[in-house]
Amino acid sequence: MAIPQDTAPEQLPDATSWRDELADVGFVRRLLISRHWYGPDWWFVAISAVMVVGFITLAIIPQVFAPYPYDTLVGPRFLAPGARPDLPVLVVRSDSTAKELRDLAAPANAPRPTVGVLLGVPTAGALNQEAQKIDEQLKNGAEGLRLRPRIERFDTLKATLQALEDGQVEAVVVRQLEYEQIAGQFSGLRQGQPITGDTATAGGFLLGTNEIGQDVFSRLIWGTRIALIIGFSASIVALVLGVPLGLFAGYSSGPVDRLLSLVMDSMYAFPGLILAIAITAVLGPSVLNVIVAIAVLYIPTYYRIVRGQTLAVKEELYVDAARSLGARSMEILRRYIFPNVIPSVAIIFSVNIADAILTGAGLSFLGLGLPPTIADWGIDLARGQRFIQTAWWMITFPGLAIMLVVLAFSMMGEGLTEIFNPKLRER
Amino acid sequence: MPVSPFALIFIVIGVPALLGLTYIFVRGSAGLRRYILTRVALTVPMVFILASLVFFIMRVLPGDPVRSALGPKGSPETIQRIRTQLGLNDPLLVQYGRFLGGVVTFNFGNSLVGGHRPIVDEMSERFPATLELVVPASIVALLIGIYGGAYAASKRKRTMDYALRLYSVIIYSLPIFWLGLMLQLLFGVRLNVLPIAGRIDPVVGTTLKHVTNVYSIDALISGNWPALRSVALHLVLPTATLGLILSGVFVRLTRINVIETIQSDFIAAARARGIRERVLVYVHALKNAMIPVITLIGLQVAILLAGAVLTETVFSWPGMGSYLVERISGRDYTAVQSVITVFALFVALISLAVDIIYSLVDPRVRY
Repeated sequence: MAIPQDTAPEQLPDATSWRDELADVGFVRRLLISRHWYGPDWWFVAISAVMVVGFITLAIIPQVFAPYPYDTLVGPRFLAPGARPDLPVLVVRSDSTAKELRDLAAPANAPRPTVGVLLGVPTAGALNQEAQKIDEQLKNGAEGLRLRPRIERFDTLKATLQALEDGQVEAVVVRQLEYEQIAGQFSGLRQGQPITGDTATAGGFLLGTNEIGQDVFSRLIWGTRIALIIGFSASIVALVLGVPLGLFAGYSSGPVDRLLSLVMDSMYAFPGLILAIAITAVLGPSVLNVIVAIAVLYIPTYYRIVRGQTLAVKEELYVDAARSLGARSMEILRRYIFPNVIPSVAIIFSVNIADAILTGAGLSFLGLGLPPTIADWGIDLARGQRFIQTAWWMITFPGLAIMLVVLAFSMMGEGLTEIFNPKLRER
Repeated sequence: MPVSPFALIFIVIGVPALLGLTYIFVRGSAGLRRYILTRVALTVPMVFILASLVFFIMRVLPGDPVRSALGPKGSPETIQRIRTQLGLNDPLLVQYGRFLGGVVTFNFGNSLVGGHRPIVDEMSERFPATLELVVPASIVALLIGIYGGAYAASKRKRTMDYALRLYSVIIYSLPIFWLGLMLQLLFGVRLNVLPIAGRIDPVVGTTLKHVTNVYSIDALISGNWPALRSVALHLVLPTATLGLILSGVFVRLTRINVIETIQSDFIAAARARGIRERVLVYVHALKNAMIPVITLIGLQVAILLAGAVLTETVFSWPGMGSYLVERISGRDYTAVQSVITVFALFVALISLAVDIIYSLVDPRVRY
């Protein structure tokens, strides 16, 4: 038969070490030392706090971490994570000094260079365009150089490369990935630079690109901003409205309290997302409207907790004492009751941010909350859903991002609950 | 003529519920009777408040429903004519009275867009679909939640306990629509074993006789096995999505309550009598721990319905949630207002039912 494992008396923390230390150290050291006191919950809060700080940093300066702007078309469409775009690349003989297209430029009276391309592949167009662009710049230069390549077309990639090796053409422009597959067969050739496209993107994209060629990773980083804006603002607005209402209702406990509680309880029982859908549907899409809609949902959460605690604290002896000493209601509320509700409000605030971010993402997934120009995870998921058959990366990563942010805030709330309510600790 | 599904739902669920309520009321103690009366009396203002909230959100906030429904092609005269027809030019109070009357008589008027059908008819096609999703999902959630929670409690502070706690934290942080998309990606696209959209295969669907519009019941009573199989396959992913998301809360609640119960004296006494640990946890402790869990089930209805809206959108499930989203993009304010009111009614009735069941299970709450 199993015997309960946890019957051994709990070991008390070593009273001398951390207590003596606590007396004369600064705030940060105090926080660190308190881990002996709180145990695993301290780590819970610490880890989630680091995550929260990280996300806030991302939200404030996304441009530092994101390789590209969120709305720029930086690459080909539907490029898988880690896959490289198939750019047209310049290939020359190993003994040639040319590295990029510009190096092929020759003096105006010299013979024009011949460049080979493969038939039926759009590399010739890219070559022409790029050469003309370079030529325009060179024309006005002092060196009198021009770049007007003669283009020679071949039937197969092999023939193209063979022509280069035989010296029939000076260089060829072929697709990079196709070239790399058979490059081993030609020992005397060397790959130069891609002739078009940003050379920075030649290595591919960490999390791939979406259906119009935006970088998924950059949009992910930028999306942190709107998620946190919605989470924080909605929770703050709800707190600012809900806490005073709860204090007032709990303290007065008259007919106003009963009416308010009825309204708040009804709202609390109602599915929040659906109420938010109604409000944003009427107000129209904008960040402010989403914040308003979500804030309205969470007022009852604060109201109920604060009211309940006010009712309990009001009966305490020290409140009676203050009243008999002639303290006015405002002062009692402010000095004796309000400090008691702060811990629970802090916990709800943290969990609330998590909830608000989830609700906001749900709204924008439904296409309701935010204007579609904003980089937002919910919008990205809704866009990606249409391409679920081809582009798994478009729906996988934004969802992971939402999960991590929500996890950070709810873990923090969880840890804070355990720390602020020692009675619950053994649960 | 097919029976209106609303009438059918009422007959199937409402009549036994009413009979049961009457029975409890007649046979129960005076305390129980008083409790039930108070609770029913409290439901009325709750529905009233929610309906009013919906009305004022839809009517007082800026925006003209008719203009947005007609779009740019509506001339001012047409807009005025339709507004008068719909009674939108009447004083707000008159409209409010008419709206409340509509809620009581279940007559929400006609939809502003499409075929201008009565909204009740449209909803009676959609509501059974939502029921068909929500009921199995709740069962999945309760099964996982209650057994997972009890198991975690019995393995307290061991690996499986921590694993299940982690499960409930992660489940809480998952966006439900993302979980749906991931399941679609895995089972629908990668493995290609389950359908990812709709309620039934369209070819099989033509053979199904629609009686209740709850397809599984329709297929069962008409003995249409291919249809039943198709319906069941289509149900797997949406049910799993909604059920998994809900199960996290239940794991957590059950675990806490079972742990608390295990520490009480009667369990120690039972243990001293030599009752096996398994029976102790799953029979003695779980039964008592379920009492507080039942009340919390009532509160989870909100999560359930919000989750249903998103799940229906992800899986193109033609229920109330996707109807709501469709009508919002179609700017059909009358329909939106009605759907939200029906949701409010649903929430109020479920929480009423849960509270009454609770008062039966736990005699302590009757005051």
